[in-house]
Amino acid sequence: MSAEIEKYQGNLQYAVDIVMCIDATGSMHPVLDVVKKSSLQFHLRLAEVMARKSKEISQLRLKVIAFRDFGDDPSDAIEQTDFLRLPQQVAEFEKFVRGLRATGGGDIPESGLEALALAINSPWETGLDRRRHVIVMFTDAPAHPLGTVGATAQTYPRDIPRSMDGLFEQWGYARSQTAVMEQSAKRLVLFAPEEEPWKEGIGEEWDLTLHFPSRAGEGLEEFEMDEIIETIANSL
Amino acid sequence: MKRGDVIGGYRVVTDPTNAGGGKCVWSFAEKDGREYFLKRFLEPKRPREGSGGSAASRRIRLETCREFEERHRSIMKRLRPDASGAGNLVLATDFFHAGSTYYKVTERIDTASLDKPQSLGPKQKAVLLRTLATSLRLLHDIEVVHGDLKPANVLVQKREGAAFHTAKLIDFDDSYLSGRPPDRADIAGDSLYGAPEWRRYVQGHESVGGEDLTTAVDVFALGLMTHVYLTGSLPAYDGRFGSPADAVNAAEPLVADERLGTSTQALIAAMTAADPQHRPTVADFLAALKDPEVCTLHGTPQPRPAVPGTGVGDGPRGSRVQFNPPDRSGHRPPPAAATDDGPARSRVRINLGHRRDGLPGNPSTS
Repeated sequence: MSAEIEKYQGNLQYAVDIVMCIDATGSMHPVLDVVKKSSLQFHLRLAEVMARKSKEISQLRLKVIAFRDFGDDPSDAIEQTDFLRLPQQVAEFEKFVRGLRATGGGDIPESGLEALALAINSPWETGLDRRRHVIVMFTDAPAHPLGTVGATAQTYPRDIPRSMDGLFEQWGYARSQTAVMEQSAKRLVLFAPEEEPWKEGIGEEWDLTLHFPSRAGEGLEEFEMDEIIETIANSL
Repeated sequence: MKRGDVIGGYRVVTDPTNAGGGKCVWSFAEKDGREYFLKRFLEPKRPREGSGGSAASRRIRLETCREFEERHRSIMKRLRPDASGAGNLVLATDFFHAGSTYYKVTERIDTASLDKPQSLGPKQKAVLLRTLATSLRLLHDIEVVHGDLKPANVLVQKREGAAFHTAKLIDFDDSYLSGRPPDRADIAGDSLYGAPEWRRYVQGHESVGGEDLTTAVDVFALGLMTHVYLTGSLPAYDGRFGSPADAVNAAEPLVADERLGTSTQALIAAMTAADPQHRPTVADFLAALKDPEVCTLHGTPQPRPAVPGTGVGDGPRGSRVQFNPPDRSGHRPPPAAATDDGPARSRVRINLGHRRDGLPGNPSTS
């Protein structure tokens, strides 16, 4: 369909927000380029799939949260963008993603839960008719418990829960009074190892979560990005 | 869930995927030498002993799970795989939870589907549509709305040695009782095949309540699918609209392919009428299929069906054909009344008349 056509205002409007949490520690070095490449192509592939299905997304926004380890170097443990509207802000998105370097991390667990907590508390779109709010986690490591390692650092996020129970309540469930995300809109896609908290604590216990096990040093296959696209495209 | 896991006695034999599903992961599995399709639901999660969350949250989640189980078991009870006429419905054989997660099992079926049903001949198409509509009628006879009828949920297959392709209807997990849909934010449905009243319900229009979402929602989708199966594309509508239902809600016409016979164009127009009360039932559709002309794609443009009254300007929200409006008051005639054996003519009455000019192009080509 031609993009020049002025759309009828009464059309059902879909908003898609995606937050990509990307582990940028040293161990991700072999796979970070694949994640970056996939991230950069993501919106184009999503648009292609949607067009093939004769469907349209009215508004697409992406946000990236790169994380390392507050226990190793609190100064670069979190780097993030705001929500960027695509394709309008594609240059800003590409600049951030291309600038990510796999470095640091210290011990094996990383600050993935802090990144996830920040993602859950993102300023999600609340307008338009229907919404999909998707968090994607790319990591090859387990995570430190929330509120422990590096929690006293100046740069440690102030407004996130300090326990897994607290984070679970923010993620929520049907009829939850404490959830900060819209139940019918949200999805969590984990490309994470079969270790805690990803495997049982989140992968088994949280609803609307898909866990695709990753192994350290092994790349994210091309098809895995398709899993995210399926998650969005099939629910619109 | 991963390959090699044994869940509820079913051994997972393929890598799980969410291909084709928005809120599930699935794989093939084996049990006692038989092959199955195993579907893992992403929600709700059943709280386990010692798992996280407060007592209050646990109570809420258990209540949600109880309702979820009840909904699935009630549909399974109404739709049994051994029910008469259920041969082309792919129905659940098992439903259980393992740990915190719910699973549903169906027989393993060949998921291959004919890519281009429009390439079939008229007789083949008639059988295909008949098998699809028969399955849908079975649902509607027990007041169940499929709720997500679209080509992806219909497998077009031909068994070895069989003469005709048939349609297997899958995925009833978004089904609901007629007039009692899920909440506006939760209801499933496809943005392309959704009915006008479904879209207004989703958009929060006060004029549409749950009671307005009836089996006629499926009839709208069936009308679009009929056009797709017969011609390879949806009816045309102005490119400003995101979907057929958006166009219908804006009182703009859907325009059937001119190669379809006049009665078929009228049938599709009736099935996609803005007012669900004005759509025929699936039984009406089955009766119309008795006419061998219905599935014919002509080499030359066929006359357009007339709009009642003055034609084009006769009330944009009305049906463009007249037919016997179905009783959607809640009472359903017994299945025998939804006759396959009635007279070989459609109940759709056609007024041959004006041909429309200046028709908008199909959005796929604009």
